[in-house]
Amino acid sequence: MEDNAELESFRRQWREEVTRRSKPKTGTPPAPTPTAPPLSRLPPTRHEAAHRNEVEEEGPPLASFDPDELAQQVGELSVQPAEEDFSRREAVEPTSALEHFERAVEKEAEGNLGDSLTHYRKAYRLDSAVDKSYRNKHYSHVWKRPNQPTPAQATTTQLQAAEVETVPTQELIASFAHLPIPQAESIIENTPPPPCPIAAMPSEVIAEILNHVALDDPSTFARMALVCKRMAYHFAHDQPTWKGLCQASKFGFGGMHYDFACDVLGLPIYTLGSRYTPFPKDEPVEVPPPLSSWRQVFQSLPRIRYTGVYISTVNYTRPGATAAYSNVSWNSPIHIVTYYRYLRFYPDGSVISLLTSTEPVDVVPYISRENVAAALTPANRKHKRNASDHGQSLSGAADPLPAVASNALKHARRGRWHLASPTNTPEPSDSAWKPESGATEKPLLSDQRDIIIETEGVDSRYVNTMHLSLRSSTIPKAAQASPAPPNPSKNTKLAWKGFWSYNKISEEWGEFGIPNDRAYVFRRVRGWGLE
Amino acid sequence: MSSITLTSSDGIEMSVDRTTAERSVLIKNMLDDLGDSGDAVPLPNVNEAVLKKVIEWCEHHKNDPPSASDDDDNRRKTTDIDEWDQKFMQVDQEMLFEIILAANYLDIKALLDVGCKTVANMIKGKSPEEIRKTFNIQNDFTPEEEDQIRRENEWAEDR
Repeated sequence: MEDNAELESFRRQWREEVTRRSKPKTGTPPAPTPTAPPLSRLPPTRHEAAHRNEVEEEGPPLASFDPDELAQQVGELSVQPAEEDFSRREAVEPTSALEHFERAVEKEAEGNLGDSLTHYRKAYRLDSAVDKSYRNKHYSHVWKRPNQPTPAQATTTQLQAAEVETVPTQELIASFAHLPIPQAESIIENTPPPPCPIAAMPSEVIAEILNHVALDDPSTFARMALVCKRMAYHFAHDQPTWKGLCQASKFGFGGMHYDFACDVLGLPIYTLGSRYTPFPKDEPVEVPPPLSSWRQVFQSLPRIRYTGVYISTVNYTRPGATAAYSNVSWNSPIHIVTYYRYLRFYPDGSVISLLTSTEPVDVVPYISRENVAAALTPANRKHKRNASDHGQSLSGAADPLPAVASNALKHARRGRWHLASPTNTPEPSDSAWKPESGATEKPLLSDQRDIIIETEGVDSRYVNTMHLSLRSSTIPKAAQASPAPPNPSKNTKLAWKGFWSYNKISEEWGEFGIPNDRAYVFRRVRGWGLE
Repeated sequence: MSSITLTSSDGIEMSVDRTTAERSVLIKNMLDDLGDSGDAVPLPNVNEAVLKKVIEWCEHHKNDPPSASDDDDNRRKTTDIDEWDQKFMQVDQEMLFEIILAANYLDIKALLDVGCKTVANMIKGKSPEEIRKTFNIQNDFTPEEEDQIRRENEWAEDR
């Protein structure tokens, strides 16, 4: 009897999740639309998407970032792998009901609802109680607690329990300030413990080591913080390291572009004047006012990631074969079509944009300028590409570009990008985001989080202009209230604000309708952006 | 070329070229203060084995141009350690950290850099548990604390 109740609650939760995914707009409070100056210049109109997404993807406006508020995130039930390598983890097709169910959950998490549904169906056909075995396998730790039949309740109870004993994270970290690095105990009793020379290092040496770790890859720095309390303190309070990260170009703002740095095909634009950078290295710089530390600056200011790919997964339904005249009924098929938009940014100001129905596993590892160039040139030159550029090649052997990836990459568009410049430079610049017009469109970029991407159009007469805006994941109210709220990456989503094509000869703008299009979400790809 | 004498913490005297020894800002300043008295320079924080290694490094690098500015992006490239330095740093972990300590004490910025980069490379790509194993560090978090820190810092993982 109790089992039935559990089952029911799981189903309810699952259904809610599906509904939530298909209707993301419900439940998000409408946010005040930023008062942008009216658009008098090109493109002619503010895109319909701009308003829609303002509501859908709202994060707190930058100016109102409250340091405490910075610590938040979505606590999501997910069984995603710890690190995304976009390789086919299981080449074998699932056979058992549970395997089908797991695959379905995986597909659903990717946003591929069509395949997900197919796997769910197969799973239930093989075993009508498959959801229960799935639940027992993955969430038994939650269910096995007594008197907590539903995950929702379990989470709440856990949070409440946590509230009783948890010290706020900042205080907790502050208490680690002068702790020594603890040495490992001896493996065999009565023998000297293994040597731990790092424990004898003074603070400045530890900081120097962490500085190198952080500049090489901030995510390793984060893992370092989990080694021991002392490291956690360094991670939270090492101002020079965070400042260096902010100024550096590999991950920081030194590598961001606030004006186009190359042409659409990626050839650099040279300029006599120095380019704007928010934290120049040769001048004294300060933490911008609403924030209080360089760590917060690095975390919360708009920043494009070079270490992975931004993916927008779009699903739409299309009536199947005989449905033209009849109403949708149980026997008329409905196709769920899934397609993807991919963006890979490069530190030199170029970008690759790809619209395809090819799934991430098949194409993401191969999205690179070299492969795009190879896919666009005749087939016999397909193998010529720079092996150092993508993760799969780290093994040394140059793996050939698979046909499926090569076919998808034929449709890739080369382009260039820049973030909105926080300073509204008054003088009109020729390298403003639409050089053909000779005018500045700064008013369009009223938000610091905005990004403009220009790519090749259908042919050489056209240029496509994408107007996107960086957003962060929203965090449920309940999670925000807890003393140790989740704290996800900021600005890792790109919401649509507009999409146009521009005819360079007739100087006409055409607007693309993007009714189904969803925000891009960043996924890290192993080996990218780390040299 | 004048040479000077250094005395290690265990009382061993070593004769070194002055230009080599002056890679160390500490020794350079001491020599400037001492003048040409010819007295041995005492280094009470560095033992013979470590001092020998440090002198070997200074000998090899004595003709290096003065270090580029601190903010140079090239200096920041962690992976870049020249081949000779990589070989030089192939020592056991205790010696590695002793060299780092000595470089810090003697104020030899470039050597400190190479040492720290070597350690950073040992950390690269490892999980917290693997890092603990590498350096024999004990986990002093309670599971709850570890979880709390993990949530607080998850943003930096950029998944």
